[in-house]
Amino acid sequence: MAEILTSQVVSGLATGCVYALIALGFVLIFKATDVVNFAQGEFVMVSGFISYTLLVWYGLPYWVVLFATIVLSGFMGVGLERLVVRPIMDAPIFSIVIATIGASTVLRSSAGIIYGYDVLPLPTIFSKDPIRLGILSFTAMDAGVIGSSLAIMLALYLFFKLTKTGMAMRATAQSQTAARLMGVSITRIFSLTWAISAAVGGVAGVLIAPIIYLDPNLGLIGVKAFAGAILGGFGSIPGAIVGGMLLGVLENLSGYFFNAGIKQVSTYILLILVLVVRPSGLFGAASVRKV
Amino acid sequence: MSALRTTKLGRLQGTFFIAVAVGLLALPLVADNYILYVMARLFVYVLVALGLNLLTGYAGQVSLGHAAFFAIGAYTAAVLAESGQWSFVPCVLAAAVVSAGVGYLLGLPCLRLSGLYLAMATLGFTLIVQEMLLQLAVITHGSEGMSVRPASILGLTFDSDHRKYYLLLVVTVGMLLFARNLVRGRTGRAFLAIRENERAAEAMGVNLAQYKTIAFAVSALYTGLAGALSAFLVGFLDPQEFSFFLSIQFITIIILGGLASLLGSVLGAGFLIILPEMLAGLDVWQALVYGAIMVLTIIFMPFGLSGAIRRYGHRWFGLGVEPIVPRRLGH
Repeated sequence: MAEILTSQVVSGLATGCVYALIALGFVLIFKATDVVNFAQGEFVMVSGFISYTLLVWYGLPYWVVLFATIVLSGFMGVGLERLVVRPIMDAPIFSIVIATIGASTVLRSSAGIIYGYDVLPLPTIFSKDPIRLGILSFTAMDAGVIGSSLAIMLALYLFFKLTKTGMAMRATAQSQTAARLMGVSITRIFSLTWAISAAVGGVAGVLIAPIIYLDPNLGLIGVKAFAGAILGGFGSIPGAIVGGMLLGVLENLSGYFFNAGIKQVSTYILLILVLVVRPSGLFGAASVRKV
Repeated sequence: MSALRTTKLGRLQGTFFIAVAVGLLALPLVADNYILYVMARLFVYVLVALGLNLLTGYAGQVSLGHAAFFAIGAYTAAVLAESGQWSFVPCVLAAAVVSAGVGYLLGLPCLRLSGLYLAMATLGFTLIVQEMLLQLAVITHGSEGMSVRPASILGLTFDSDHRKYYLLLVVTVGMLLFARNLVRGRTGRAFLAIRENERAAEAMGVNLAQYKTIAFAVSALYTGLAGALSAFLVGFLDPQEFSFFLSIQFITIIILGGLASLLGSVLGAGFLIILPEMLAGLDVWQALVYGAIMVLTIIFMPFGLSGAIRRYGHRWFGLGVEPIVPRRLGH
């Protein structure tokens, strides 16, 4: 009994880590550019297909594929920013959101045209055999996904904290004008932010596709990640991480206690309840209204 | 507005509306059943767009919950028609009232939310309602869906595409005029004030809680009405239809059409309903081209179709005044 429960929590945490990675992508772009990118889930889906192509069609080794997927995803992020978002940077925020929704439609249907709508198996290096440690029970896959996600988060943290570019990005998020006056190229930072967000989404795709499925609708996972980011407080990086993980665990636990339909819905019920009590999410700063 | 009637723009608008009215009334004489059916569906979407624009465009409250109101309207009408053997008019009225009631109730917890948080909460509402349609199979027949008998008023059955077209035309024009009066009056001004600055609106005596919940209720009323009419128009309800994609489609309509613009609601609905029909021959490429057109439209008309008409009407033909469009909404 306890073992089933812990395995549910651990596998929920694994999915939650992937939600957290995607949520991070949302928040990074939002902090730097004020844009909510609804094509974030599509980064995950496309990178899943990129790695599928390289692994299965071309038979390249796993680590090469992982590296190539991250780089190609990054380029996709820059491409989307240059082609779709930059021309309308001055437009109302709603219009930009709709443009990214349009872009996600294009990406989803392109994947459908190339790969069809059947579910494809994406190979992984992690085994799905259960491992037992006392009352803890989990699979190597769960541990691998959690470990890789935490490693990516740590790498990002160090990048923002220690490198000059990371500092420039933090400065841009705080004040674009001040950052520009200090000699930071805002356009370069914007492109870089999109590249990093897409690359993180790319890692998420490689991690999650073997667990759930790989088909053109994989991008819908973006909705859950968005919910996680909102739960944590949109715009807060720790919020995105905690919110994403919390959502993954809750979703798995409610799937254990209730049926599959309720599993999908319970998280949203909880989310609404949290928002009623804390309108800016768990870690979100209460918005100050200026008159 | 009467002063405008004597201006160049006023005369042009008058001529335009008369031409459109004559065109719409005469359309069934020339168009085939397929076109009439597409037009009737278009009217349904115009109703939703009007409702959503009142809430999102005018009052500044983002909603991704309108697929749920649409579903509530459609299912209320279908269930009352099936189990209660209610006739068409009470069914549709009940659907609109129930939907408005739910909108009012949803508006209450949403009072404290704004922007993205509101969008997510209402998106959650859409997902919850869709799941309830599946779970409450006793009433809704779950994933099997429900069939709906054709509408009938005083013995006149609306079973042909001609009749359905005229029915929806009449309701849509009526609701369009109602929305026009609403936005030009006290309520519309209160909505705009809330959107522009909640604190300032409050200082001028606008009761925030009251007007926000009114906006939710009225918006849900339009959408529920549209859902009920859609149920009778299509004759079948499939719970898969009421997904969050539908909510996204609704919000896309009003943004592509133009926020806080009744004309924009109509144009946006026209654009998003007719475009897929025109692209139907493209087969697998349809969604791709559709998405690309969406992106290009936003890039070239960031304020939507009605924004572009106003801007270029002023620049090229000297009509009206240079439009002032709010830059950042609900944020």
